[in-house]
Amino acid sequence: MPLLQDKVAIVTGAGRGIGRGVARLMAAEGARVVVCDLGVNVDGSGADVSVAQQVVDEIAADGGQAVACTESVASMDGGERIVQTAVDSFGKLDIVVTVAGILRDRMVFNMTEQEWDDVIAVHLKGTFTVVKHASILFRQQRSGRIITFSSTSGLYGNSGQANYGAAKDGIAGFTRVCARDLGRYGVTANAISPSASTRMTTSVPDEARALRSARGIAAGGGLRGDAEDVAPMVAWLASDEAAHVNGHVFHVTGGLVTLLNEPEPVKTIRKQGRWTVDELAAVFPATIGIELYNPAPAPPPTA
Amino acid sequence: MPNNLQGKTAIVTGAGRGVGRGIAKLMAEEGARVVVVDPGVNVDGSGFDQSVAEVVAQEIQAGGGTAVACAESVATMDGGERIVQAAIDNFGRLDIVVCCAGILRDRMVFNMTEQEWDDVIAVHLKGTFTVVKHACILFRQQRSGRIITFSSQSGLVGNSGQANYGAAKSGIAGLTKVLAKDMGRYGVTANSIAPRATTRMIGAIPESAAEIRARGGVASLSGDGGDDSELQNLDPEGIAPFVCYLASDYAGNVNGQTFLVYGDTVSLMSQPRPERAIWTESGHWEMEELSRQARSYLTAGIVNPAPAQQR
Repeated sequence: MPLLQDKVAIVTGAGRGIGRGVARLMAAEGARVVVCDLGVNVDGSGADVSVAQQVVDEIAADGGQAVACTESVASMDGGERIVQTAVDSFGKLDIVVTVAGILRDRMVFNMTEQEWDDVIAVHLKGTFTVVKHASILFRQQRSGRIITFSSTSGLYGNSGQANYGAAKDGIAGFTRVCARDLGRYGVTANAISPSASTRMTTSVPDEARALRSARGIAAGGGLRGDAEDVAPMVAWLASDEAAHVNGHVFHVTGGLVTLLNEPEPVKTIRKQGRWTVDELAAVFPATIGIELYNPAPAPPPTA
Repeated sequence: MPNNLQGKTAIVTGAGRGVGRGIAKLMAEEGARVVVVDPGVNVDGSGFDQSVAEVVAQEIQAGGGTAVACAESVATMDGGERIVQAAIDNFGRLDIVVCCAGILRDRMVFNMTEQEWDDVIAVHLKGTFTVVKHACILFRQQRSGRIITFSSQSGLVGNSGQANYGAAKSGIAGLTKVLAKDMGRYGVTANSIAPRATTRMIGAIPESAAEIRARGGVASLSGDGGDDSELQNLDPEGIAPFVCYLASDYAGNVNGQTFLVYGDTVSLMSQPRPERAIWTESGHWEMEELSRQARSYLTAGIVNPAPAQQR
C-alpha cells in the first residue's frame, strides 16, 4: 500500500521548488493534495494563478488527485481558507506542510521595515495561520502531521538574512511548541532544514554571496541536492510510521538526512552567591569561553 | 566602585522591572550611562505608565549613577529610532544595546488569536530588530558595539501554551546569529541570553497552561525537564553580571553565542550539530529505503516530548 494512502495533505509554496516536489511525491504515495501557491516572485511581488494549477495538472497526469489553492498564507483568513479548501475538496485533513517563503536579503543596518515585515509575515506568521487552523481539526480528530520549514540560515546564521534567519529560527521554536501543545492529541510537529538548489537560493544578492564566500561561509549549506530530494523525508514524517517522531529538526540535502541535536547546555560555571563582572572576566575565558568560535571576527586595525 | 563599563552608554529595553531593571542598575554601577527604556505596560502589553522607567532612572541617580528614562515602544521602527536617538541626545554616543522588552499572551495553539500572535511577535521579535537595526548603523560607523538579546528556553526547547512566545524567542536567537555575522567584521558582537528568573512574566502564565503542563508531565517552565520549584527563588538581578560581562571590553571576541543564565549559573548553549544521519549511495532516496533507515536508525528510540494520551 502506498505510504500516504487515503490521507489529505496541504502543501504551501507547492508551485515550485521543494514544495512542488513534496506535493508530487505525496500524491504519488496516495495522498490527495491541496497545492497552495500564490505564484509570486521570490521577493513576494506579483501573482500567477497558473503556477499552482500547473502542479495540479502534473499530479493529475500521473494519476494522482490534487486541487489548486491561491490563497495567501500571510493572513489568518488565508490560512483558514486553505484549511477549508482541504475539507471542502476532500472531506478531511491529515497533513500540513508549510514550505511557502520569500527572500529579501539585506545587511541588517540597511534592512527596511518592509523587508523585515514581509519576510516575517510569509514565513513565520504564514506557518502559524495554516497550522493554527489545521490544529483545531487535528485536535478534534486526535491525529495529524505538521511539517514546517526552518533553515540553516536561522540555525547557524547567514550574513544578510536578519529577517529570514529570525523567521526560520522562529519557525523551529514554533514547531517545538506545537509538538508539545498537540502531541497529546496524537499529532506530531517536526521541522525540515533543507539545502537544495531552487530559485530562492539563486536569488541571494551577489554582494551577500561575495561576503559569505569571503568569510568562508558556504553560500547555502555546501552540499546541495535537488529540490525533489527533500520530499521523501517529508513524506515519511507525514506517514503513520513516524508517529513517534515529534518536536525534532531534520536537515535534508540530496540523499542525506540528519537529525539535529536539541539545544542544550554544554559548559557551565557556577558559584555560591552572585558573580561580579571582575570574577566573570577572570573565570570565563578559561572555562566556558575556551575555544569559542567567533563566526565573523573583526579584521586587525589598519593604520 | 567597579568601572568595567566606564565611559560607555547603554540602552536597556524593558528596564522598568525584573531582569531589565537589574541589568540597567548594574550597568550604571559599572560606570555606564543608561537609557532606561520601558513604556510601563502590563505583562500582556496593555496600559502605559511612564513613571516605571522614571523610577528606575531615579534609583540609578540616587545611587550616584547616570541614567535617563525613555517610554518609547520598541514595537515600531520609529520607536526603535527614537530610543537610539535618546542615547545620542542625552549622552552623545551608544556602545551597548540590551533587548529585554517582552510581553506574554499564553494560549494553546489551536485557541491562539491573531492578536495574541501579532502582539507577542511585535514586541519581542520586531522589538529587538527595531532597536538593533538603528543601533547597528552607529555601531558600523564607529567600528564597535555590543548587542545582547533575550531568547528563552521556551523557544530553544519549547513550552506548551507558548506558540507565539516560543516563535519570537527562537526567532531572536536566529536574528542574533545573523547579527553576529553581519556585524562581527565591524568589531561588534551579538549574543543572546536565555534567562531563568522569577519575575512577573512567569506569574502571568495562565493557570490552565500550567495545569496542562503538569498534567501532561511535559515541558515545565524551566523547559528542560527541570522542576518548576527550582524557579521559585531565582533573583532577576542574578542575570545582570553576565550581561555586563558580555557588554564589557573583556568579551570582545565572544560573538554569536547563546548563554543560559539563572541564579548564579552561566551555561554556554550548544550550537546546532548533527546527532544522527542516514544517507543513500545514489544521492536520491527510494521511499522504501528511507523508511527502513529512518525507522531502524535515524529515529529509533527517540523520545516524544508529549506522547498521545487516551481520551
